[in-house]
Amino acid sequence: MSENTPILQVKNLTHIYSAGTPFEHKALDNVNLTVERGEFVALIGHTGSGKSTLIQHLNGLLRPTRGTVLFDGRDIFESKARLRTVRFHVGLLFQYPEYQLFGETVEEDVAFGPGNMGLDNYEINRRVENSLRLVGLPSDVASRSPFDLSGGQKRRVAIAGVLAMEPDVLILDEPTAGLDPRAHDEILELIRRLHRKRGTTIILVTHSMDDAARMADRLCVMKKGALFLTGKPEEIFQHADALEQSGLALPQVTQVMQELARRGIAVNPACYTVEQAAQAILAYRKGDPLC
Amino acid sequence: MLKDITLGQYFPGNSIVHKLDPRVKIILIAVLIVMLFVTNTLIAYLLLAGFILLTVYLSKLSFRMILRGLKPVLVIILITGILNLFYTPGVEVLRLFGVLSITREGIFTAILMVTRLILLIAGTSILTYTTSPMQLTDALERLFSPLKALHVPVHEVAMMMSIALRFIPLLVEETDKIMSAQRARGADFDTGNLLQRGKALVPILIPLFVSAFRRADELATAMECRLYQGDKRRTRLRQMTLCPMDGIVAGVCVAFFLLVLYLQQTA
Repeated sequence: MSENTPILQVKNLTHIYSAGTPFEHKALDNVNLTVERGEFVALIGHTGSGKSTLIQHLNGLLRPTRGTVLFDGRDIFESKARLRTVRFHVGLLFQYPEYQLFGETVEEDVAFGPGNMGLDNYEINRRVENSLRLVGLPSDVASRSPFDLSGGQKRRVAIAGVLAMEPDVLILDEPTAGLDPRAHDEILELIRRLHRKRGTTIILVTHSMDDAARMADRLCVMKKGALFLTGKPEEIFQHADALEQSGLALPQVTQVMQELARRGIAVNPACYTVEQAAQAILAYRKGDPLC
Repeated sequence: MLKDITLGQYFPGNSIVHKLDPRVKIILIAVLIVMLFVTNTLIAYLLLAGFILLTVYLSKLSFRMILRGLKPVLVIILITGILNLFYTPGVEVLRLFGVLSITREGIFTAILMVTRLILLIAGTSILTYTTSPMQLTDALERLFSPLKALHVPVHEVAMMMSIALRFIPLLVEETDKIMSAQRARGADFDTGNLLQRGKALVPILIPLFVSAFRRADELATAMECRLYQGDKRRTRLRQMTLCPMDGIVAGVCVAFFLLVLYLQQTA
């Protein structure tokens, strides 16, 4: 496929759970989304806004009630074989992925994906080693049982399991949920490295505006099963009221800067990382009001 | 896929059947089951089928849902029908392949047994469709509480039942999640021979067991933290009290059952 085809396209996607029973629930309502090759997109939304449902369509785990999903310009549900290949190209890491570990050893667990791809032993070993190194696990972990590891380490093993398939697109559903601040930063750093070095297209699902603003090129805000706002972080944060209505807050540092501006200190309030804010404040102290 | 299992699932509602005291419901269903086994005439079955249809109508459940509940036991129903069709001695009407004979009695028993099974399942599914698992176990505990005098651990058994019931949807959901996660890593559960399919289940079963044990452990701790110690001086949030409507419904049903028995006798 040509380099210009968007890697993922979602067209008029609607998903209804338990259709035809009293539990019928419309989780997605006519969602349209395009993800370009090499992009870093953050998908944000309140609990129950349809984020998880949406990402499960992107590698064909869920079938749309209406609408289409295209990978590389072709329908992912074209055939069974097509669906399987798409799963190897679009890696999906679920929330709390450590609960899905099953291997007797870490090595065996990480090799599950590449094994299913039908790769030869040499290639599988190479990928297992590579991805364990990539997630920053010491090499002696490979022969240990995943159930003996700490929570943070288990999470890394699970991430390595998806990375070993070397997907073109990596979708992560709240990859830092339940981790301590240090592990949180390390995992985010790992994702950023993957994006920069391998050029992997990343879709990060989160409800932390801080993380989303710091990491992503583009934010997609979901609300009640629909795509509600989409754009660059600075564009999104101009809709502070709308965000608040959908149960989301601006990044903490943006809130601080806005409050400063409100109190008559002439700093630029459109900052969403600590670094930008620091620069804005320095600029203000030097008497230059814009950063 | 797994979510489509409806047998034994509760559908909330506000109908007269939903509101009926669960103890009365359980007893009436039990009587209905006995009725289905003691009757064997056409008229009785027509009346009982009518009774079940009327109850479904009153409970505002859709008939499709009742039919869907029958699906998992369809094989059993078919086998029962076929066995009865061929293995009932009597006046022969048709012989197949020289060995299999269909008798007039066979046809009659087959129809009777199949209808009986369908009505049994439809009747009991009305109970589980219209009564929440909590109500069900509470009611069972109350109904069996006289056995406490004989040192039968009624409360403990009821508590275990309600926990087990409570955990079924959770475990189903968990299985769904784990299957999705392994599918995302290219696992294939739908092709291959029996051995391959069995092997493919390992990546689901191990995480499922691990999480089931973890959940059980956490639940036990949480219960102990709230000073749960079995039946000792425990009061209830929802007290079950019989109201006049329960009496009326029970009376009408019992009268109906007696009528069916009477007609069966005279027929």
